[in-house]
Amino acid sequence: MRLLLVEDNVPLADELTATLQRQGYAVDWLADGRDAAYQGQCEPYDLIILDLGLPGLPGLDVLAQWRAAGLATPVLILTARGSWAERIEGLKAGADDYLSKPFHPEELQLRIQALLRRARGLANQPTLEAAGLHLDERRQCVSREGVDIQLTAAEFRLLRYFMLHPQQILSKTHLAEHLYDGETERDSNVLEVHVNHLRRKLGRSVIETRRGQGYLYAGSAA
Amino acid sequence: MKSIQARLSLGLVAVLVVVGVVLAQLTLWLFEAGLQRYLENGLRNESETLLVALVRGPSGLQLDERRISAAYQRPFSGHYFRIDFDQGTWRSRSLWDMNMPKPSAPGLSDRHELGPEGQELLTLRADYRRLGQDISISVAQDYSPVREGFRRLQQIGLGMGLVALALVLVLQRITVTRSLRPLERARQQIAQLQQGQRSQLDDEVPSELAPLVGQINHLLNHTEDSLRRSRNALGNLGHALKTPLAVLLSLASSDRLHGVPGFSGQMREQLEQIQQRLARELNRARLAGDALPGAQFDCDAELPGLLGTLGMIHGEGLRLESDVPAGLLLPWDREDSLELLGNLLDNACKWADSEVRLGIASTAVGYQLWVDDDGPGIPESRRQQVLERGSRLDEQVDGHGLGLGIVRDICDAWGGTLSLAQSPLGGLRVTLNLPRKGA
Repeated sequence: MRLLLVEDNVPLADELTATLQRQGYAVDWLADGRDAAYQGQCEPYDLIILDLGLPGLPGLDVLAQWRAAGLATPVLILTARGSWAERIEGLKAGADDYLSKPFHPEELQLRIQALLRRARGLANQPTLEAAGLHLDERRQCVSREGVDIQLTAAEFRLLRYFMLHPQQILSKTHLAEHLYDGETERDSNVLEVHVNHLRRKLGRSVIETRRGQGYLYAGSAA
Repeated sequence: MKSIQARLSLGLVAVLVVVGVVLAQLTLWLFEAGLQRYLENGLRNESETLLVALVRGPSGLQLDERRISAAYQRPFSGHYFRIDFDQGTWRSRSLWDMNMPKPSAPGLSDRHELGPEGQELLTLRADYRRLGQDISISVAQDYSPVREGFRRLQQIGLGMGLVALALVLVLQRITVTRSLRPLERARQQIAQLQQGQRSQLDDEVPSELAPLVGQINHLLNHTEDSLRRSRNALGNLGHALKTPLAVLLSLASSDRLHGVPGFSGQMREQLEQIQQRLARELNRARLAGDALPGAQFDCDAELPGLLGTLGMIHGEGLRLESDVPAGLLLPWDREDSLELLGNLLDNACKWADSEVRLGIASTAVGYQLWVDDDGPGIPESRRQQVLERGSRLDEQVDGHGLGLGIVRDICDAWGGTLSLAQSPLGGLRVTLNLPRKGA
């Protein structure tokens, strides 16, 4: 999962980036509204966290530009201006959720999870469930038939992305774009290694390889 | 408080009566003076005729009867004379048995009351010297018919004056009502302003009213401006404080503090207290309350957005319905109203199972708002406690606490009352009774 964090307060952005990375998200951080308006459209983000008080271009205008350009990525507004009148304005401009500062980090995590699942049309449950596997995002482990299987951070990230996109062929480039932030060098061999690790832990059939196309998550039921 | 209309009528009547009476009296007096001068000429002619009629007879002076007017022969005819000379006094036959006193000085003298039939005489005395003797001839004419005529004229004048006065008053009333119409319109507009049906006064007014209306509009703009500025400043303050708070909260729950047990929990607790205090106080400071007389909240325009927002926040599983009459305008500031309804509904949504209903109705004394949910509700014994908790900052918790606290602040600012009851849906019903503004 690759997120764009648009926040002009550096300490908060640092803190959030660290927290989100611990939770297995690839995070790109921008502080200027104009940069955000551009980069939000040209990079394939899964979710955008947007502060409203931005230098360069106000957050609401950035959001309006994205929506006018047809960007459908879920946007979570993060702002200190928490009045209902402002919330309604934000959601009218096309935001998907609204979190007012200050907030508990867990609250943000839950909102992000809920938004990502809602964007995929999945029910909002404590664990992510797809084809026989249950992924606990808090503990970053997967369980099959009641048996917990520990995952490394990279495996967790990969599996979560697969489970959010079941029955969908995902190319290596696509996976790399969504699993790593803009500054990480993308090496498709690393992806192959992680896929192999997952197969070793969960069984060969959990991820199918479609030659020339990419990977397909089949889960343990198949 | 006296109305301008009554004052104008009173002033006009006073002026008209004084001017009318003075003018009428002056006219009568001038007319009478002119008439008397004319009559004086007649009397002088008469006296000269009498003088010519005086002839030397065999026994001294003699009056030639043929030369004098017949009116002096007929008793009480209204024309009289008396001739005084050295040897005696002659009186006209028309005086009959009455005595006509000799005027003390030559010239015209009026108002000599005389006996016969109460006739009032206008008398002219002229002194001559003829045939070697001093002769004083006084000629009198009955003045009563003239006086009678004047009295009738006065009565007719008075009657006409009264009719004219009544007519003037009616016309004045119409004119005043018409010219005061802008004032009346301004009064109605101020009433509408109070009820939140308009936000500005119409500035198409006569020049006399323009400064007043302009000043009121300016004040309204000014209030609105300063409210917006202070809200903006509060927003900035909130932003400046909340962002570092968010950093601190995030730091407090970070893994780095795991080595210091108890520290993280205490820090979070303190930070939460700061956060709640801040949220409550900032919200309270943002309230417009009664500052804006022209404020209004258009339910039709605002509620769908609010309900949509709540639906988005609380997910699709929740049914949000509103029972609000079409076209209902609430006389309160938009942001205050949204904050109140938002918090009330948000609270209900947090606790509801599947349904939340909002109702607003206009009552005889104001407005009633109620929010129902089908959640667990609050047992009757604990309702008072929840309400009190909303008012005590240090005991606030999220959920029914803080949200209701803000609702209470707004409700207090509007002079309303808040009560909790059992909802027909099974959960809690929060009811607000809000008085009409300016009532």
